[in-house]
Amino acid sequence: MASAVEAVEALTIVLAVGVARSWPVALRGAAYALLVLAAIVAAFGPVLHLIPIDQLKLVVGVVLTLFGLAWLRKAILRYAGRKALRDEDAAFAREVSALRAAEDAQADRIGLVTSFKAVLIEGLEVAIIVVTFGAASSAALGWSAAGAAAAVLLVVLLGLALKQPASRVPENAMKFVVGIMLTSFGTFWTGEGLGIVWWGADLSRLLLAAFYLAVSAVLIAAARSRREVAA
Amino acid sequence: MKLAAIWEFIAGDSRFAPAFVALAVAVAVVLLRNNVSSTVVAVTFAAVIAAGLACAVFERT
Repeated sequence: MASAVEAVEALTIVLAVGVARSWPVALRGAAYALLVLAAIVAAFGPVLHLIPIDQLKLVVGVVLTLFGLAWLRKAILRYAGRKALRDEDAAFAREVSALRAAEDAQADRIGLVTSFKAVLIEGLEVAIIVVTFGAASSAALGWSAAGAAAAVLLVVLLGLALKQPASRVPENAMKFVVGIMLTSFGTFWTGEGLGIVWWGADLSRLLLAAFYLAVSAVLIAAARSRREVAA
Repeated sequence: MKLAAIWEFIAGDSRFAPAFVALAVAVAVVLLRNNVSSTVVAVTFAAVIAAGLACAVFERT
């Protein structure tokens, strides 16, 4: 799901470049970025197994928790109306008009770089999630990578079928759920890395998710009411 | 890529959330070294992180 959210964001930009400039430029930029990402995953994935598991869980857990909290915070602020909902239609229109305004030769270069950057940055987030979730074992890395690949493929196929920005995907809801999951997993792994023995073992991940969900619901309500008072 | 950019990429633009994660880790280490039960440490740990989320939501960035 996390991979699907990132794929939606990258796809919006690639589609904008394709529509405004040319499809070869957009696809070339995306292809270059995918090559760089593949190199990053190939370089860092196997190295993870050389690090002692507790230290690895601690580092991975802290990164996932920070990642999750950042996503969750944004999603809560959007639900509370304190931050604009990310509108893929607006992002698409912005990129298209910027590219149409540029000169021909320059626009091709800008298009290539825009497509490359979008796929690289969003893909890097997918890579971090894949590598961290797959840190437990090579089987887990395989499942994690397969899940991400399936999600990205699904979004790309949908995008190609629609040739429109994926604005109908409820991005904030997905981001909210992913934020809850990343924060819960991150808390669990950081705790394990520190030596906490979780009550109910793996079951406590569900309890953590329920806990963060309840906290988030309270925070959305509180942020909303504060906004209404301020207005 | 600058270190600050990498940091923002991972932790976003909140200062409170990372500070509270660090605080949660520090509190958990202290409690575990003092032989406090794992359940108490776990609850405290998650509560400090949740407090960090709450502060981050109302933080001005």
